[in-house]
Amino acid sequence: MAQKRKRKKRLYQRIRENKRLQSAETVVLPVMLGIAIFLLWQGGIVHQWFHTDVFTLPLPTKIGSIMGDNIDKILENTFSTVSVAFIGLALGCILGYLFAVLAAVFPRIGSGGLGIIGAFASIPVVALAPVMNNWTRDLSKEASIRSMASKIIVVMLISAANMSLNAYRGLTEVKPFSEDLMAIYTTKKRVVLWKLRIPNSLPYVFIALKVAVPSSIMTAIVSEYFAEYITGVGRQIRENIVLAQYATAWAYIATACIIGVAAYVLLMVIQGLTLRRYH
Amino acid sequence: MKQRIMALSRKKWFSMAVWIFALVCVWEIGASVVAGTKRSPENILPHLYQIAVAAFSPEPVSAGMSAAAVVLTSAGATLLRALLGFACGTVLGFALALLMQLSGIVEKLVFPYLMLIQLIPVLGLAPIILSITGDINQSRIVIAAVLSFYPVAANTLAGFQSVEKEKYDLMYTYAARKSVIYKKILIPSAIPYFFTGLKIAAPMAVTASILVDTLQGDGGLGCMLSQSLKHAMSIYVFWLIVFFSAFIGIFSGYLMGRLELLVSPEKRKPRKAQKRKGN
Amino acid sequence: MSGKEEKEVEISIRDVGVAFCDNAGNHVQALTGVNLDIYKGEFVALLGPSGCGKTTLLRSVCDLQEVTEGEIRISGKTPGEIRLEQKFGFVFQQPVLLSWRTVKKNVELPLEIMYYSKADRSKRADEMLQMVGLSDFADHYPGQLSGGMQQRANIARAFGLRPDILLMDEPFSALDEFTKEKLHMDLLQIWSETNKTILFVTHNIQEAVLLSDRVCVLSPHPGRLSAVVDIDLPRDRTLEMKETAHFNELVSKVRNSFEGGSV
Repeated sequence: MAQKRKRKKRLYQRIRENKRLQSAETVVLPVMLGIAIFLLWQGGIVHQWFHTDVFTLPLPTKIGSIMGDNIDKILENTFSTVSVAFIGLALGCILGYLFAVLAAVFPRIGSGGLGIIGAFASIPVVALAPVMNNWTRDLSKEASIRSMASKIIVVMLISAANMSLNAYRGLTEVKPFSEDLMAIYTTKKRVVLWKLRIPNSLPYVFIALKVAVPSSIMTAIVSEYFAEYITGVGRQIRENIVLAQYATAWAYIATACIIGVAAYVLLMVIQGLTLRRYH
Repeated sequence: MKQRIMALSRKKWFSMAVWIFALVCVWEIGASVVAGTKRSPENILPHLYQIAVAAFSPEPVSAGMSAAAVVLTSAGATLLRALLGFACGTVLGFALALLMQLSGIVEKLVFPYLMLIQLIPVLGLAPIILSITGDINQSRIVIAAVLSFYPVAANTLAGFQSVEKEKYDLMYTYAARKSVIYKKILIPSAIPYFFTGLKIAAPMAVTASILVDTLQGDGGLGCMLSQSLKHAMSIYVFWLIVFFSAFIGIFSGYLMGRLELLVSPEKRKPRKAQKRKGN
Repeated sequence: MSGKEEKEVEISIRDVGVAFCDNAGNHVQALTGVNLDIYKGEFVALLGPSGCGKTTLLRSVCDLQEVTEGEIRISGKTPGEIRLEQKFGFVFQQPVLLSWRTVKKNVELPLEIMYYSKADRSKRADEMLQMVGLSDFADHYPGQLSGGMQQRANIARAFGLRPDILLMDEPFSALDEFTKEKLHMDLLQIWSETNKTILFVTHNIQEAVLLSDRVCVLSPHPGRLSAVVDIDLPRDRTLEMKETAHFNELVSKVRNSFEGGSV
């Protein structure tokens, strides 16, 4: 019994210690799963499982060819969604960070405000989007512009909530004694903020972005559902389903996935470049 | 007296109350301005008391039901599905995290796809899932489950992986069996992370369920919301739903926090330092 | 070696060497050619600076670290077999307490794993907590205790198991001097009552001399046993012994043996 255990452990260790085998596994295994899913889908077996047909759940090749055919339209809608998500994200992050700085400098007022903002983060987008539509009605005579503004505001609010909560943690959870150390050098709050708190918050900003980037895209897509002006990847999914053009809808779903993955990869690259000197 | 006021101002709830008061003030000023300049101000920004009056007025707005009755009956349908989906997603998410922890191969196989689920705007899939299942209730459950699945699985897995090497060493010296290590060490360690996941997942499940409502005229909060926006019934129903869903979103997160305290008594008493809140 | 023939050897370490690859992939010789016999009921200190392999040796004894050369036998069996018989108690440098269990439940943890009845567990945990002076804190959670109290709970947990062999890895190094002295006396008291074999890793010469029957001095690069010093202070040691000339002689002897042994 004891010997058996030992041998098993050795074999396990041998595999564990072989780094090349390990890293190969991390790539090969998911790729194999991906190919398996593709084959099951293309072979129509997925359709049998879900009791559906190739009309509602088109084959991957069909989705691909539709994406190729409609590339201009898809790019146009992608641009609309991405610009809403990006502008909203950027504004929201700046706003959220500034609020976190205020809360860190004036904790007595700020801490409660953060509680409220945390609550804002839990408000469903579906409740927020129509309200913003109403509020932006007088902004412009162009439906496209006021729709865009309303979508941006929704994305902005959601991103701001996320950013401020995380940035506040980064600004306040500094290493023990470092605040005392700064207090010996200077009494100026401004200096402590610049030299200690803001650098310390940078990794937390990326923690926030990891959540905020996917959620900004999701929020942009959902608020498109409620927008007055018909544009964007999310809205196209819905419109095409209403028209029973499922293959086209799937092409937009695939586009949405690509946007999500691309944004995340971009974020990871930026994080790698920015945080490199921290390690 | 002055000292007592000063002590009061240091309390977190006090600063929160100040913020809520400020928000109410801003809202009311906005409402007054809108009331003076617009023909139908209740569409854009009604006074809060008008919404409160609408909530308690017995006057029927739709099918002989008062506004509050409409909101509560449709909320029943929506929230029940959200809860079911949330429960399914939570159980599946926890099970997958456990499976990934148990087997390195499963982890390598599935982990990239778990990341992918987060990046796919699942809410964008709502119309497709509706057309596959063909049943609004099932789609609500599926979407809510998929949305709650990712945060629970990812956070629980992080919880399993946060267990220090010393704890494994300790169990090794006791020659504890694997099942014992899971029961006594890994699962309890993952509980705080699991709840972090639940706190994120609960409002998302509510959002998902309301969104699916808007896709089909079959009752539910989202359906009433869009009908009210199209002036099929009093616009105050819309405002009630906005506030109600915001409340439910916030409350669901709060509820998870209370649940956590119930499960982990060590968090109930004031702790010496609250440094490790988990990411 | 005279006078020790009648004592029973419990742990025999023969030509033991440990080598492993570090994270950068370099070959590291942590220990080489260690020979040591430890007798039943003996209190042995492993003393040395950081990186001399004393913790590696301790971990090898209880099967946490695989030995690459030589062998370790405990009562004729391998460390792995003894571990499966659940005869080890290990006290880590950090009190590895489970934050979601009360102090008492933490002490009961190994007893639960080894299927003691509920009444037995509770009784023994109460005894142990009494012994380390934590009875009043039985229902507190570890997060509510000071570092010294946490380490006492950790020791109570290790003793509650009544292990045949107790391995301690710098258990007091993170504590303040006052707590440490108190725990030294507590440890000696518990040891004399239970008469277990204790292997105690430390980098503090006074601590090693005060507590142990023998001090094994290890030197780094590569880690090896450079000297063994018998401590002939009378048992029932007291803190006052630290003031005696003999104690200081022994401390000097240990220190010199270390400097002489290292190259």
